[in-house]
Amino acid sequence: MSDTETDSVRERFRSLLDQANNRLVAGGVIAVLLILPVALNTFWTRIAVGALMWIGLAQSWNMIGGYAGYLDFGHGAYFGIGAFATAITMTTYELPFIVGLAVAAAVCATISLGVGIPTLRLKGAYFAIATWAFAESMHELALILDITGGTFGMSLPTGADAIIIPFPGPPTEMFFYYVMLALAVGTTILAYVLFERSEFGFRVKAVRDNEDAAQSLGINAERIKRQVYVLSCSIAGLFGGANAFYITFIHPNDVLDALITDQMIIMALLGGLGTIAGPIVGGLAIFMLDRMSSLFLGTSTLYLSMIGLLIMLTVLFAPSGIIGVLRGEVGITDVKDNVSELADKFNFTR
Amino acid sequence: MSDTILETHDLTKKFGALTANDEISLSVERGSIHGVIGPNGSGKTTFFNTLTGMHQPDGGTITFDGTDITGWKPYKIARRGLGRTFQIVSPFKNMTVRQNLLAAKSGGTNKQKQADEILEFLEIDHLADDDASDMSGGQKKLLELGRVLMLDPDCILLDEPTAGVNPALEQRILDHLSEINDDGTTFLIVEHDMNVIQNVVDRVSVFDQGKHIVEGSFDEVTDDKRVREAYLGSADDEEVPI
Repeated sequence: MSDTETDSVRERFRSLLDQANNRLVAGGVIAVLLILPVALNTFWTRIAVGALMWIGLAQSWNMIGGYAGYLDFGHGAYFGIGAFATAITMTTYELPFIVGLAVAAAVCATISLGVGIPTLRLKGAYFAIATWAFAESMHELALILDITGGTFGMSLPTGADAIIIPFPGPPTEMFFYYVMLALAVGTTILAYVLFERSEFGFRVKAVRDNEDAAQSLGINAERIKRQVYVLSCSIAGLFGGANAFYITFIHPNDVLDALITDQMIIMALLGGLGTIAGPIVGGLAIFMLDRMSSLFLGTSTLYLSMIGLLIMLTVLFAPSGIIGVLRGEVGITDVKDNVSELADKFNFTR
Repeated sequence: MSDTILETHDLTKKFGALTANDEISLSVERGSIHGVIGPNGSGKTTFFNTLTGMHQPDGGTITFDGTDITGWKPYKIARRGLGRTFQIVSPFKNMTVRQNLLAAKSGGTNKQKQADEILEFLEIDHLADDDASDMSGGQKKLLELGRVLMLDPDCILLDEPTAGVNPALEQRILDHLSEINDDGTTFLIVEHDMNVIQNVVDRVSVFDQGKHIVEGSFDEVTDDKRVREAYLGSADDEEVPI
């Protein structure tokens, strides 16, 4: 066997080993997460539920923002729409929680398709502005509609009959832990398989990097962008629905708050855009920063200042986020390059 | 009887007051290598963009392999078998060389195998698992050609396939073109390097100020008075700058 052949065999072996290692690590993490609530008290279970939800939300934003390169400033609207869709299904129509979740995903898919068709023709800042305006209009709409309870908000049923999954008694903290775990792990696995391991993912990245070149290779760019947008928005809706049942009272000012979108973006950005590990790392870091600052400092405005500082540092010095820093992609002195790298990622024309 | 694979009739593209392509009628024979030359700004790249659906024409028709493809979307044209490369090569980032090929839409059932065969044919199979952004300029040109080949196209439009490539790699690219052409694939090439045009193409079309002014063999067009005017601005007896 020649040297190059030996190298190539060695490389293949190493890549197989890496894959096996990754699977082992992922399997181990999931196993720990499955038995974690046994070791946690209610307070920490509550923290874990929140962390899982934000990791999943950041992961969903990363699909359209990181992988497809569309700076979606309206993503939080689907979290709110999902919340109200679930609440209306469970209160007005008295249907079980699981049906509420399905309705949330379906409603978000339908609305995002309608929003996506015109807005995904826009690029960069124009898309960001259009989606932000859409989210604001949803917030205002929820405040005046009867079906969403207007300014009074909505309460969800808390009884055991609201669930059809075999969980005895009324929904407990642990029930929501497993709901969020299933959603977050499901979203992460789906993102990994779709965007890192399939030809679909290659096409999405191709469209992000160069739409003209992608189209000249037979890729229907419009369609692929719509698919990613609808998928990511539907997932945000699922988390919105699960969260609504968890907190049992929802108000437009809370579940349709623009800050929800901001948090998702910051989490994906800080962790590393267009990577699977990014939203996990960023989601966990930001959520814990939020919780810990309110726990120990008792104020939320300081948290916002810290977030602002983090965004600045990330944009200027580490456009590939924490994952990029771990991979050694930091250019402290290349501030201009760093900023333009991010601008390119979102198709901003300068 | 000659068999035409690509034909335009009075194809016109305007940008505001500027007519970038002015009633261009051109026929490309199946299995040939057809060159398009002309001074900068003569409308060559616009012509390619209009042919491949990137620009909507303001007039005229495009017929490809017997089908009227005027106004078709770019991805449909590509799937129909008319591929193209770009003047500025841009591999898809954060993806390996093989993944760059796998992104292309292909009719084949075993895409992995098809991609590996193409990489081997282009002699870049040793880079298959490398990040595509790390390739040299010439290798990127080969990668771009490889991506187009995934479409199994009947005709490929090449926009300056050897620009910025070192001479050794340039020869390799041209050899590959000839081999692909021998298998029946038609090429339409925009190229500034007249040596390439002279050595590779069967027929040459000359564009000037958006118009298709002359067509013929390389020797015919370089002897033509209008071509000299286009390049030199006058019909002096000077050599065409090739």
